[in-house]
Amino acid sequence: MVKSEGAIFSISWNACIRCGVCVAICPQDQLFTSPFDTIAVQTVCDIACMICEAICPVSAITHVMVEKSE
Amino acid sequence: MEQYDIVVIGSGPAGATTARFASAQGLKVLMLDKHQELGAPVQCSGAVSSHALEDNEVPISDEFVEEVIYGFQIYNEDGDSSRIDYRELKPDLYGAGPGKKALGYVVFRRRFDRYLMTLAEKAGSSIMLKAEAIGFEKQNGDAIVHIKYFNEDIHVRTKVIVGADGLQSQVGKWAGMKTHINFNELASCLQFVVDGIAADGLLEIITGHEWAPGGYAWVFPKGHGYAEIGLGVICSMTPHNAQWHLDHFIKNSFFKERFRNARILEVQGGGVPLSHPLKTQYADNLILVGDAARHVNPITGGGIHTALNAGKIAGNYLAEFIQSGKPATAENLSVQQDRWMAAMGKKMWELYEIKSGIFKTANIPSRNAALYKTMTEYFSPGSPFKKI
Repeated sequence: MVKSEGAIFSISWNACIRCGVCVAICPQDQLFTSPFDTIAVQTVCDIACMICEAICPVSAITHVMVEKSE
Repeated sequence: MEQYDIVVIGSGPAGATTARFASAQGLKVLMLDKHQELGAPVQCSGAVSSHALEDNEVPISDEFVEEVIYGFQIYNEDGDSSRIDYRELKPDLYGAGPGKKALGYVVFRRRFDRYLMTLAEKAGSSIMLKAEAIGFEKQNGDAIVHIKYFNEDIHVRTKVIVGADGLQSQVGKWAGMKTHINFNELASCLQFVVDGIAADGLLEIITGHEWAPGGYAWVFPKGHGYAEIGLGVICSMTPHNAQWHLDHFIKNSFFKERFRNARILEVQGGGVPLSHPLKTQYADNLILVGDAARHVNPITGGGIHTALNAGKIAGNYLAEFIQSGKPATAENLSVQQDRWMAAMGKKMWELYEIKSGIFKTANIPSRNAALYKTMTEYFSPGSPFKKI
């Protein structure tokens, strides 16, 4: 079994202004969104490039790194 | 299964205009939007030129006009400015008096988008809100579109899907199109709608790396005595977010006295692609228009005119295409992009080259000077890009 790191994102829903920039910049090929038009929050992101965090106009996105079994 | 000539996904300016022109020429059109209200949450300052509305046959209506615009004032980083007021430059043409016209408008996007939808509806389009397109499959040369409509799963058959689903477009991804935007070409934008700011019919554009690295700041009149103060930044050029920059601009710029009594009435944000248009905007059974195809002016960040225009071209083209009876292959649909390139695309590529040249300049004072000069020329009467 190979283990690789990924990120699970959290959104500060109070800060989020529903601008959709995180989804627009996300390099995931498959749908990686939440029901509120942000990046997904309960799915491990194996790319973990963190550009969604960097581009958020109000810094509403944070993450924790997790080990993911493949 | 219900069958349509075209299914338009997303009822913004690009989608609604595509639907309107296609329906007006007899196509059976379904337009979907996943939202319950169009144009919300607002992600746009709403500036659009008069000729953008006239050229694309959008009647000017009090329903969506917030403020009438007659010109521009472009500022450099230190607050020196060029005033380009068409009431003074061309007093016979522009002004509030009888027989004179507006240069442009600031529109209220929620009502503007709804108005454009009503135009499509009156032209004959069927429209579904709370209808999210979740994918499609090909079948005998057609596309079967899967839709989540409230709690219901429904399928419709169509020849061509028009992806008008905006910056976060998923439709292009379905077909494996290269829709990704570079981190250094997506402006992260934030604006406040405020009161207590005097404005007189000019769009004010503030350049300078200090205030908006990679983009610019703006003060747009919003009607009712309100104004929009906002900016867009390229995040690879700054360690701070747009919120920090907007706060810095309001508190520390040459406008700090002017902004002292501004009270925030609304907070809005959005992403503006300052990239080149997508190199391929079509696939089998599919074309993209508007923000989804990066039909955005890379100098101004304006996307309403380009979306309306792309929609008109697409609606007219699809009417002709469907009536021709040709199969909806990528190759056949590529004609849409050829027409768009000839009408708008070439100029947008030129603007992209100009913009890239400015922001590749490493020396900040030189870059600031280049952006100020370009912005000033862009909005001047002699500009070769007036119609974009």
